[in-house]
Amino acid sequence: MTTFPERIGRFLLTAVVWAGFVFLTLPLIIIVAVSFTETEYLSFPPVGFTLRWYEQFLADTSYLESIGLSASIAVASTAIATLIGVPTALVIARSTLPGRKLVSTIFLSPLILPTIVVGAALLQYASALGFARSYLALLAGHVVIIVPYILRTVLASLERFDQSLEEAGQDLGANGVTTFFLVTLPIIKPGIVAGALFALIISWINVELSIFNSTASLMPLPVKLFNYVQYAVDPMMAAISAATIYVAIVAVVVLDIFVGIDRVAATQK
Amino acid sequence: MRIKNFWAAILLGVPVAFMAAFFIVPFLVVVVASFQDKEGAWSLSNYGRIFADTYYPSVLYTTFKLSLLSTAASFLIGYPIAYYIVNVVRSRMGRRICYILVIMPLFTSNIVRSFGWIILLGRQGLVNSTLVTLGLTDRPIPLLFTELSIVIGLTYILVPFMVLTVASVLQTIDKSLVEAALDLGTSRLGTFLRVTFPLSLPGVVAGSLIVFTLAVSAYVVPSIMSGGRTVVMAMSIFEQYGALFDFNFGAALAVGLLVVTLILIALYLFFIERQSATRKAVKS
Repeated sequence: MTTFPERIGRFLLTAVVWAGFVFLTLPLIIIVAVSFTETEYLSFPPVGFTLRWYEQFLADTSYLESIGLSASIAVASTAIATLIGVPTALVIARSTLPGRKLVSTIFLSPLILPTIVVGAALLQYASALGFARSYLALLAGHVVIIVPYILRTVLASLERFDQSLEEAGQDLGANGVTTFFLVTLPIIKPGIVAGALFALIISWINVELSIFNSTASLMPLPVKLFNYVQYAVDPMMAAISAATIYVAIVAVVVLDIFVGIDRVAATQK
Repeated sequence: MRIKNFWAAILLGVPVAFMAAFFIVPFLVVVVASFQDKEGAWSLSNYGRIFADTYYPSVLYTTFKLSLLSTAASFLIGYPIAYYIVNVVRSRMGRRICYILVIMPLFTSNIVRSFGWIILLGRQGLVNSTLVTLGLTDRPIPLLFTELSIVIGLTYILVPFMVLTVASVLQTIDKSLVEAALDLGTSRLGTFLRVTFPLSLPGVVAGSLIVFTLAVSAYVVPSIMSGGRTVVMAMSIFEQYGALFDFNFGAALAVGLLVVTLILIALYLFFIERQSATRKAVKS
């Protein structure tokens, strides 16, 4: 049973929220729509339908190289960050080692430190040691900024689950390593997958860090797009942008199928 | 399961070595460099230069003003969405669709998201043509490359963070408190204002802190949406590192931005803390 003012209130809330959802999706929908226009300039609503802007950017090998570089850095940095994040989370959640709180704070701090400062620091440091603007500098920086995403989701899953399962494993004679692989790992796997997928995407879309250590021949896709949009705003830019939106849609759907997007959302804060 | 300290130290060895080599030491290098002149002698000249004239203080002011505005806007848009997802949507399917709509923009790069707004806010863009069609203005108004477009672009980037943080706190609120208030005859609005909203404040605080720090350090959105007419701190820092190669002055700007941000965060937390302490004192 609802009263009249309550129904008005509910209606207003729903209206505000759906306006919010339109705000969140409209820019992406516009880009996808514009990317099919037959005109030489950006036109909304699009005129006709053509795939030539997609063909044009796929024929440009420099874009394919940038996509390859971005994908390679994203995959490699996620793998390294997982190997760093999971053991760290285990120690923080399951040991009494002095200083583990400090380790946790430092490893999570790239979440609130300006990425641009992390990027600048890495450029300055790498210049002094002679590996500035290299694949190694890009890779190391990406690992640093994505470790927190894996660390916090794995920590959240370690804190949530019933520790008596691990004790049961050990009572039955399994040692620590066996218990980890047979009991702990299968239970925290969704947390690892969710954190790793988030980390992968954060690396894939990063500009602020990469821009410091990029060169003309070593340029991740987002940096290339950033340089491009500053002097040309055309349908090809829309086609490339739209392609990255398709990647985002696939990533969100994969995340939902394997872990459940509502569960992931609950641990991302 | 308890991990013995010996094994814990071994497990942490490689991670700590990696983060020390590529994060902690580089960071210290920046702090040290900010206190050195170009010849490497200790000096405060870099910091002196920031305050030598009104240029950098005004850049700092613009940065914090735009960040504050976009944090407020993210709250106004994000809070209702979070409330709706947690308390109004009943089915798990509906909730998942809402989360997909929130997270999908988060998974596209800041450039792509800003690019969408460039198309929307241009002279011939959808926003202007709608305004003209509705008769609200007779000719396109300049929206793009203004401070307003920077705030819109930043808010767009930040709303998902606000939604996720607030929603994670709203989820933990005990529904029986809300029911008790309703049973005692409080209206829905009264229940929200006196029960749900106060209990969700930790989420609002955490969300606005995250969003504010992200806004202060944003580089891509202000660069694209300002058309070069407005300068924020991140753009100045990048200019020193990427174009002028003055690492020492760039370092001082970076450390300065960081310190001022941390001071503002501390003040904000202090203010919140004192307010809730006062409220408790009044109640008892």
